[in-house]
Amino acid sequence: MSSISEFYEKDRGEDYYNRLIEEIGGLNGKLNAFNAIGSISEGFPFSVKDNICVKGIETTASSKMLGSYVPPFNATVVERMLKKGFGFLGKTNMDEFGFGSFGLNCAKPARNPFNEKYVAGGSSSGAAVATSILKYHVAIAESTGGSISTPAAFCGVVGFTPTYGTISRYGLIDYANSLDKIGIMARSGDDAREVFDVVRGSDGNDATCTDPDYHDRNTGNIFVIDELTNGASEEVMREFSRLLDSLAGKGYRIERKSLKILEKAVASYYVIATAEASTNLAKYTGFKYGLKNDKFYQKYNDFFSDARENFGIEAKRRIAIGTFVRGASVKDRYYVKALKVRRLIINELAGILKDGFILNPVMPIKTPSIEEAESLDPLTSYKADMFTIPPNLCGFPHVSFTYAYPDGMPIGAQLTAGHFDDYALLGFLKEWESGFKYRFRYDIGAL
Amino acid sequence: MKIGLEVHVALQTNTKLFCRCRNDAAEVNTAICPTCMGFPGSKPVLNGSALSIALGIAKALNCKTREKVSFIRKVYFYPDLPKSYQITQLDEPMGYDGGVEYGKRKVGIRRVQLEEDPARIIREEEYTLIDFNRSGVPLVEIVTEPEIVDPEDLRSFLFELESILYYLGIDIEKELKIDLNISLGRNRVEVKNVTGIRNLVDAARHEMERQKALLDSGKDVVAETRSYNEGKGVTEESREKESDEEYGYIYDPDLTEYSLTGVEFAKPLMAGKIAHDYAERYGANEDTLRELLMFNRDALRLLEHAKDRRSMKSIINAISLLRKYNGMEMDEDSFDQMAMLLEKGGYVGEETVKKLLSGGSIDINVEEVKVEDLDREILELINKNEGLIEEYEKNPKTFNFIVGEMMKKHKLNPRYIAERLGKLLEERRK
Repeated sequence: MSSISEFYEKDRGEDYYNRLIEEIGGLNGKLNAFNAIGSISEGFPFSVKDNICVKGIETTASSKMLGSYVPPFNATVVERMLKKGFGFLGKTNMDEFGFGSFGLNCAKPARNPFNEKYVAGGSSSGAAVATSILKYHVAIAESTGGSISTPAAFCGVVGFTPTYGTISRYGLIDYANSLDKIGIMARSGDDAREVFDVVRGSDGNDATCTDPDYHDRNTGNIFVIDELTNGASEEVMREFSRLLDSLAGKGYRIERKSLKILEKAVASYYVIATAEASTNLAKYTGFKYGLKNDKFYQKYNDFFSDARENFGIEAKRRIAIGTFVRGASVKDRYYVKALKVRRLIINELAGILKDGFILNPVMPIKTPSIEEAESLDPLTSYKADMFTIPPNLCGFPHVSFTYAYPDGMPIGAQLTAGHFDDYALLGFLKEWESGFKYRFRYDIGAL
Repeated sequence: MKIGLEVHVALQTNTKLFCRCRNDAAEVNTAICPTCMGFPGSKPVLNGSALSIALGIAKALNCKTREKVSFIRKVYFYPDLPKSYQITQLDEPMGYDGGVEYGKRKVGIRRVQLEEDPARIIREEEYTLIDFNRSGVPLVEIVTEPEIVDPEDLRSFLFELESILYYLGIDIEKELKIDLNISLGRNRVEVKNVTGIRNLVDAARHEMERQKALLDSGKDVVAETRSYNEGKGVTEESREKESDEEYGYIYDPDLTEYSLTGVEFAKPLMAGKIAHDYAERYGANEDTLRELLMFNRDALRLLEHAKDRRSMKSIINAISLLRKYNGMEMDEDSFDQMAMLLEKGGYVGEETVKKLLSGGSIDINVEEVKVEDLDREILELINKNEGLIEEYEKNPKTFNFIVGEMMKKHKLNPRYIAERLGKLLEERRK
């Protein structure tokens, strides 16, 4: 039974939501999971990543550029959740505009609930923390290059990133539109499935959103790709081998493969992502919404430049890279080539995924401490996404789930399926969870 | 001398290009939404009817079309551009490689693309306001080859283009915004945002003279963007334009590719060509036919109906009368009666037109009056009224009196009577 059904069956008492909000408030000071907390009074609680618009609630994507911005409309996902009776709990913390793997690129980074000295992962940091501390809750999160898998793995929750285009992006503050996918974090595959059924489906406000024929292919084959394990730390590989043994024990056929072109995935991803991001971020010029520049005596260009000083360093870096790679004189060498590489990788991976799942460690490293993560240079930090990027680059659905707790910290694996095989992944989770119990340090709102 | 144009045609769709805001709001900033205001989280969704109209324009301009069209982002920073990029087309436009023929001339059409209009900037002395009603209005940009040779050629080309657009149902009353690329020598100067054919021809003439003066004095023409000052009648330097390098075009990933297979579009109608063909076939004056047909759907409708039933002369006559008496909406059968009456030399006045328009029928049996009889009656009238001729010499309106008197006696076309009268007076003078 999903915890959603369980929640509605239990007697919650009158004061439930007040106590819930109070307890979250107390812990939030320490963990920074929420950027804003709503006034929930009914329904199963759901949180929304702060780059997804909720009408009347401050929505900033953790950026100073959108400081105090209150959207005049609900994102389609939010609209559908509310209509189904879910209760809006709050906006969750994230890396500014989704730019980051550790949740550190924002004013108050979220902290790992298993150990506050450690990162929560990014960019959907707050969504993962909220899911990890709340007994009855689901998180609407979003992934561009691994922003659901990574924080879900670090915080020990289920992260489900569906096939690109299955959940409407209307109301999502764009990072890279051809890569952005709204997804779900939950404490079980069943919860994720229930929410997916509520929010998916075509939408007149998003031209890329479709109603596909879903298949449910689980062939019993699991492929482990060299390029998606090479470079992982010894410790990560030791744990991952145990997972493979365990799955083999359950009857899965594990097969190793190599796919050289995946070495180009990170480069292709960052070119496309920054090219699109640099155009998406062009709209923040300090005079229509969010941060306001009041120096109206300035010339336009000076006015815009002045306002745009307020982007964080990582946002500026991606604007600079993205603007460069789409410039007319180099576009063919970067942007256009990256699109071609993406097409090749999609074709290659689709060929493999029709015969089985792909399994890999979510990250090549164990959850780093905040101090460690802060010391990484940008390139090393980008490379940390090398295992989560391929399915994200290609729009393949994937789940991230916990399979062990070495030294008391969760460690996660990512399972990828073919386009529209979303339910096969959710089915796998149900099977996995029948033999593995997730652990949580907090159970706020337990009944 | 070479002139090329970028013609921007605003489409009168019900809603804007990428959102469901009305496309005709009068009061400023009332037809706006998160999408056309560029709010975070908003997404564009293509208006299919704009796609269809734009395809009609591309086909009418004899463009080639690809199977699919796609949209790109053109990035530049300006207050009228809410997303700081314009959604337009690049490699896969609505049409390319077309051409317009007018008379013996032909100008190539490089491309026809569908794009969104930026907002309207209202400049005041101390401040600038922005009306976002215009933001997101569908525009078709028609880019010509630089094959227009002089200001007169420019006028003829635009007349033809506007007629084609008129017959596609485009409201050409809303003046077209046109950028002019003009070069006499090596370097090309762009004159931005000129509205109206007259201004455009003037701007071309002034820019041509400016460039000629520069070249004659041994100076170089700077490649730049200028604007036309209607009041002063000169072109002036204007804002710096971004280069293609800076626009940094990428596909708009919020929009998919759109297949043109099965997209319906209006069949074009070339009034200029029809006027030319009919002038030859029916021996009519081409200029007169053009004057009647280039911007008049009803005139064309009535002419097409009557062309092989009545003489072209009487048809042209009848259409002119309908224009004069605001009766262009007349049905074909009534028009036929009217043209028949004129053909027989009968009289058609405002009364007749009104009667036909209100569904009545007219007597088309014209009284047969022999020329000799008519002439005799006119002379009798003149002789009966002493001093009429003297008075005519002083006041030509006397002429109308005679015609009027004759029309009391016969149901004849006043023009016919006047013709006879003129002839008689001339003979008399000799």
